[in-house]
Amino acid sequence: MEFFVTKGLIVSGEFGNILVREKQGKTLELGELLIADTPQGKILLQVFDLVYGSQLAQQQLELLSGLKLEENVGLQFFDEAMRNYILARVKNLVTINDGKSRVAKTLPQCFAEIRDVAASDVQFLSEKKSAPLFVGNLRSGSKVIDVPIYLDGRLALSHHLLIVGTTGRGKSVLMHTLLWHTLAEDYCGLLVLDPHDEYYGRTGNGLKDHPAARERVAYYTPKQPPAGAHTLKINIEQLMPGHFLGVVDWSPPQRQALHAYHQRYEARWIDAALRGEPIDGGFKEDTLGVVKRQLMHTLSVSVDNAGLHCHGIFDTQAGQSTIEDMLRALESAKTVIIDTSEFSGAQEILMGSIIATEILERRKRGHTDVKQAPVVSIVLEEAPRVLGKEILERGPNIFATIAREGRKFKVGLTAITQLPSLIPRDILANMNTKIILGVELKPERQAIIESAAQDLSADERTISALDKGEAIITSNFLPFATPVKIPAFEETVKAFTKPARSFAGISP
Amino acid sequence: MKFAHLADVHLGGWREPKLRELNTRSFCAAIERCISESVDFVLIAGDLFNTSSPSFDALKTGFQKLRELRDAHIPVYLIPGSHDFSPSGKTMIDILEEAGLAVNVAKGDVVDGKLKLRFTVDAKTGCKITGMFGRKGGLEKHYYYELIKDHLEAEPGTKIFMFHSPIAELKPAELAGMDAMPISLLPQGFDYYAGGHVHVVQHEQLKEYPNVVYPGPLFPNNFSELEKLECGSFVLWDNGKITHERVRLAPIVKVHVAAQNKSAADVNAALDKHAGSNGVQNAIVLLRVEGLLSQGKPSDINFTAFAETCTSRGAHLVLRNTNKLESKELEEIKVNTASVEDIEETLIKEHAGQLKILPAEQEIALAKELMRVLSAEKDEGERVADFEKRISQDVNKLLGL
Repeated sequence: MEFFVTKGLIVSGEFGNILVREKQGKTLELGELLIADTPQGKILLQVFDLVYGSQLAQQQLELLSGLKLEENVGLQFFDEAMRNYILARVKNLVTINDGKSRVAKTLPQCFAEIRDVAASDVQFLSEKKSAPLFVGNLRSGSKVIDVPIYLDGRLALSHHLLIVGTTGRGKSVLMHTLLWHTLAEDYCGLLVLDPHDEYYGRTGNGLKDHPAARERVAYYTPKQPPAGAHTLKINIEQLMPGHFLGVVDWSPPQRQALHAYHQRYEARWIDAALRGEPIDGGFKEDTLGVVKRQLMHTLSVSVDNAGLHCHGIFDTQAGQSTIEDMLRALESAKTVIIDTSEFSGAQEILMGSIIATEILERRKRGHTDVKQAPVVSIVLEEAPRVLGKEILERGPNIFATIAREGRKFKVGLTAITQLPSLIPRDILANMNTKIILGVELKPERQAIIESAAQDLSADERTISALDKGEAIITSNFLPFATPVKIPAFEETVKAFTKPARSFAGISP
Repeated sequence: MKFAHLADVHLGGWREPKLRELNTRSFCAAIERCISESVDFVLIAGDLFNTSSPSFDALKTGFQKLRELRDAHIPVYLIPGSHDFSPSGKTMIDILEEAGLAVNVAKGDVVDGKLKLRFTVDAKTGCKITGMFGRKGGLEKHYYYELIKDHLEAEPGTKIFMFHSPIAELKPAELAGMDAMPISLLPQGFDYYAGGHVHVVQHEQLKEYPNVVYPGPLFPNNFSELEKLECGSFVLWDNGKITHERVRLAPIVKVHVAAQNKSAADVNAALDKHAGSNGVQNAIVLLRVEGLLSQGKPSDINFTAFAETCTSRGAHLVLRNTNKLESKELEEIKVNTASVEDIEETLIKEHAGQLKILPAEQEIALAKELMRVLSAEKDEGERVADFEKRISQDVNKLLGL
């Protein structure tokens, strides 16, 4: 039988703002989860504010503190625990009955005792889904409860995921954790554009250390590839005009010129554009000159009488099957990591745009059976670079399209940012799961609170107080905004053991 | 130094007797060429035989030609390929080695859970050769991940690495669907990478990997390859100069009839016209008819008459491909028969994931291995009880029982 310690007593308040007196010797924390046992079931509560309470009037308290400060008079109270105490403001999250949760609609009795939450109270949270997406362990204030939190990965990833947090609060560890655990699942394929080249683990721990990495991770890098990595080369004949939308700020005539080149020269349209071959449509020389320069710059290609010279990942010879290989990997529920650490911003966006466009288009055209297909999520670091208001005012791009209509085709975004306020409200609202790490700037907290799946209006203080690795998940697919602690990635890696390999067939 | 690089001979492949014979003759012609060119040694980069327990005829040819090489003092270095590899080690490749007709260079030791390959040194040239066999479903990839490469890369002298795997960076667009491993798994700095498995003719020079070469099959393995490659080929290396040598045994005549919106009668008329044309003497005639017939059924097309006319005009063989020929009357019947392996692959993938005991990738690989083990035939002279015991042992080994 479990033994519970009373931590406080309900004093007064209203629905969503209940006042609890803290028991002397016990400590209530911001974000802490508490249970009030009632005849209707257990009511799960959460602390969102802490204030001082006293039986003495404010003037007396100020006088007494003055005596201590100025006259060094000792502060001895008769029955101190009765006179000075902490009050916590708590809100009801859910009512738990027979191990199931439902929306809280009642208040606990006045003077009802409240206690710590125990793992057994919230087992409904740890029910493993058919498509589990592990995000961390339940957290009550700063205490970690042994209850793993799983989202329904199919829903969460196709309905877009937003990860918000100031630098150093654990966005990268969280992303490592999410990617690591999805490697063991076959319901999703993730495309990771990795500007810091950190997820594969070229130099330290990373996805390469996962027991299933060989089968489930395809890592592409333009740098010297470690064993098992692919050299990133994309054949320019695989590119389409649509891939460049949102990558370069094209004027309408320039955009038309791209399509005119493609219409006339088909697969070798870039080659034709760079060599200045003729096209129909009466385009001005200036327009074609800008198109040529922009393509050369974006693709790191130069041209002279001898032909095209490739200086980067885009190539005239190699990489004929790279795009197709990546698409097939994603459709086979693998994780594709592209090291974009040496890319220009435009090249990185172009790379993502190529794959995102092809995945969505194939599913729209029915080339892929969406019902059977895995969810594909595109992981975007510094998401406002492609989803920012200013960017989208210049013209649409594939990422905004996916944010608005990708879910029908099981294509989602996993957007990472520390500046959610730069993303338009309608796109933020479309991101149905948000993982909030510590956010210091008030406008950023406001942007996220206003677009959250649950009412977080009382949680601003809690969000600002989130420590490294502490997060709140607000999601249409969770019963309440759930506090979690993300485990250290090193521990996650250690917990897995690599299978022993046999070498059958090798002659001694 | 002069050597020949062969791969994907598939002795015993092709069910059709004339094509099987051409396949055998292609191998014989290549070996004879190696002898006449006085090469220092011959490399066979996997799939000398079409199965790990080849037929008597395939064995006879294999042994005979390798003996001719031995008599000419030309050593043969080979690796097993995905078709003739067996994890049990009991294959004809081992018997060839025991008989002193070839050396399997996929040799090494397991050191601290890692694989340390050893070099085989060619006595005449001093060339150092090592390599890795191929396995069905690309299972050899795991061996590469555990490969100790430092000593291989640091070894001085002329070095050759033999492999039987597709390389992702080199795949042409039409092979995009093929699973492939990244080139970064191969040790760097060898002078020559003798590839097999991918039936393309390719020579690429990549940074740290000079001369990655696929010679193509020694004889095309299916209708599409006959259309594309027309004949088999191998590679000659002559002091750094690489040439692709084609083994032409019969001319190829390609007949393509577009049946889209045509009636079966129209197609018959087109076939008559083609069958009556010259140039089929001694040729392999490849007939491909594709499209949606506006009237009539594929069975209304008189392919027999076409074949008979071609044969009467001296054609060596007539092959037809009607995979993409459809009829409005029978539109619901669609059989996409690229190859037996493709069909197997598709069916296995379709049914994967039902057991939930292994990740889908491993389940697919296991299913393929099981099919291979269970399709083994009883050897000549083998008792039924021994055969059953052998199959049972192979299955147990595969399942880790």
